[in-house]
Amino acid sequence: MTRVLRFRLARPAPLLCRWDLDKTYLRSEFDTLRQLWRTAWERGEDKVAVPGVPELVKALKTAADRHGRTIATYFVSASPPQIGKAIRDKLALDRVPYDGITFKNQLEHLKRGKFRNLREHVGFKLGELLRGRRLAPPGAHELLFGDDWESDPLTYSLYADVLAGLLPVAALGVALRRIGVDPLVVPELTTLAAEVRAGGGVERILINLARRTPPIALRVFGPRLVPTFNYFQTALVLAAMGHLDPVDVATIADALVTRHGYTSRRLGYSLDDLVRRGVLTPHAARVASGALRRARLLGEVRPSPPVARLREWAHDVRTRRRAVLPPAALDYGTIFETFPNLARARAAEGKS
Amino acid sequence: MPTIALDSLGGANLEMVRAAARISIATSIECLLVGDEGRIQAVLDELEYNPEQLGVRPCALATESALAAGLRAVATGEADAMVSASSAQDCLTACSRALALLPGVRRPALAAVYPRQTEYPGQDRLALLLDVGASVRCGAPELVQYALMGAAYARRVSKIAAPRVGLLGMGRDAARHDEVLAAANAALAAHPGLTYVGEVEGHELVRGRVDVIVCEGLVGGVAAGLIDGLTSALVDVARAAGEQRLVWRVGMRLFAEGIERLQALTDFAHYGGAPILGFDHVFITCHARADGAALDNAIKLAAKAVRAGVPAGIAAALGGPAQP
Repeated sequence: MTRVLRFRLARPAPLLCRWDLDKTYLRSEFDTLRQLWRTAWERGEDKVAVPGVPELVKALKTAADRHGRTIATYFVSASPPQIGKAIRDKLALDRVPYDGITFKNQLEHLKRGKFRNLREHVGFKLGELLRGRRLAPPGAHELLFGDDWESDPLTYSLYADVLAGLLPVAALGVALRRIGVDPLVVPELTTLAAEVRAGGGVERILINLARRTPPIALRVFGPRLVPTFNYFQTALVLAAMGHLDPVDVATIADALVTRHGYTSRRLGYSLDDLVRRGVLTPHAARVASGALRRARLLGEVRPSPPVARLREWAHDVRTRRRAVLPPAALDYGTIFETFPNLARARAAEGKS
Repeated sequence: MPTIALDSLGGANLEMVRAAARISIATSIECLLVGDEGRIQAVLDELEYNPEQLGVRPCALATESALAAGLRAVATGEADAMVSASSAQDCLTACSRALALLPGVRRPALAAVYPRQTEYPGQDRLALLLDVGASVRCGAPELVQYALMGAAYARRVSKIAAPRVGLLGMGRDAARHDEVLAAANAALAAHPGLTYVGEVEGHELVRGRVDVIVCEGLVGGVAAGLIDGLTSALVDVARAAGEQRLVWRVGMRLFAEGIERLQALTDFAHYGGAPILGFDHVFITCHARADGAALDNAIKLAAKAVRAGVPAGIAAALGGPAQP
């Protein structure tokens, strides 16, 4: 059997999609104590999903089924399990297929008097990701979905670097202590990190810019992390990676137009933004926009003049070259300098 | 939601890019920045912005200006209006090439929006002076059209039901009129669609007696320049005086806050922008020194003028067919 044929017959690696809940899937508001209190008592039907996200979760499953790929969807939430019923109800209302959901046992931290752990989510999430990885099929690829509200970019990057073998266990311990993860939890996390199987790994970290953080601020997390402003952009990125088909992107765009007041112009602007930021090649944008135009979700465009086409080609080559660069270890020192609020331990040491 | 094309001067007008980013987050207005994509994105990368409401269009050719490319977007319906901080003459020339004059319009008018005293509560603190330089000289029919266009603008944008219109001149004495002023005065007084209050003199420009003042481009340009430069001239005089006597310097210090407020009130750079009237689309010119808040206001003004249907209002006032 030739190499090409073997490659074609080989079953694609399973795909794990791990989703954060608040601000990523749900439009949770807890900036004030009042909002926090209201969120805690909301019922499933009161909760609001970020536009396009239920359709995206479903589209990933549909596309995987269409191509005979294995896919599993997990939610990891730092919310307490006491609000689990409302969240499960919401996911059921949205008819979102998922394989598991984990909550943070805040009550346990309260009982033990570990008040600092109530707001420290990196240790919790990293632990859950690593535990999940131990149970994952060998060679599984992962897509991680989070937001720019708290520490998802950092948590996911640490996890991705551990899986890629780019972050030694000792360095992970140092980073976790600097973040302010409970010192009693750090050894458990480093042990878990040492145990995770090689193979597969994190393909992309997709960060929903709920706070509209300037995308350049997240460049310290490397090209593996892709910040997007809405789930139409996320769908376009996933389509370019082959996880969605153009028809799935059109379904998500249609949901945004019919249910959330998006216009074809706004969709067009979102698509152009990805190309300008170098996230999407002009070629990938053309493929996606073709399907969207056929579905009458994007307006017609006039053909570009030759100079613009030449510029597009150069852009295409640059973006593709950047995409094939081998992954490099992140400089966590720079990350902590850029986001000093993440390095809580150092701030605390400075004060004492 | 209206889409406003913004002239980024090829990406060099960083203030315009920043204004677009702010507007994209704070309002429902959609902005279309026109210019060098790379340079614009380099600025946007550092800012908070909403890409759903912020598009970027490159110029089609290397020789095409952002102003021309933006107006092309307006003419083809990709945008509803345009805001530019290019020189008023460049804007006028580009508008004449890309946009169509409304039926019946003899000449477009460049308007200036400036602050004035208010006479009653709720009166708009800004008045409209036109023409301030679209053409140098004109005849009485053009002055009447300026009055109709200015009044239509004031009705739609400033929400004044019956804007009071005045003709800028040297006084009510008929001996001081030339033929054009005399004919315009008579035509304006006889026009049933206008609330004409007669002639106004230079000192009445900043009073609340009239909402729209019409004049020839040469006169309007001089008047607008005078208002613009008045405070800076006052500040220069005061500074010179302060250098001569210590007592005057102390006095200047005491009045510093008041002078700053006066400067802010009369500085054109603080106001959103001024419309070019007579074309089938809204066009707002900004002062070259326009700061962030002024550009924000200019974009909001353009959106307001689009929503209010200013071109349609002008077409109706001139007796032409109503525009959508």
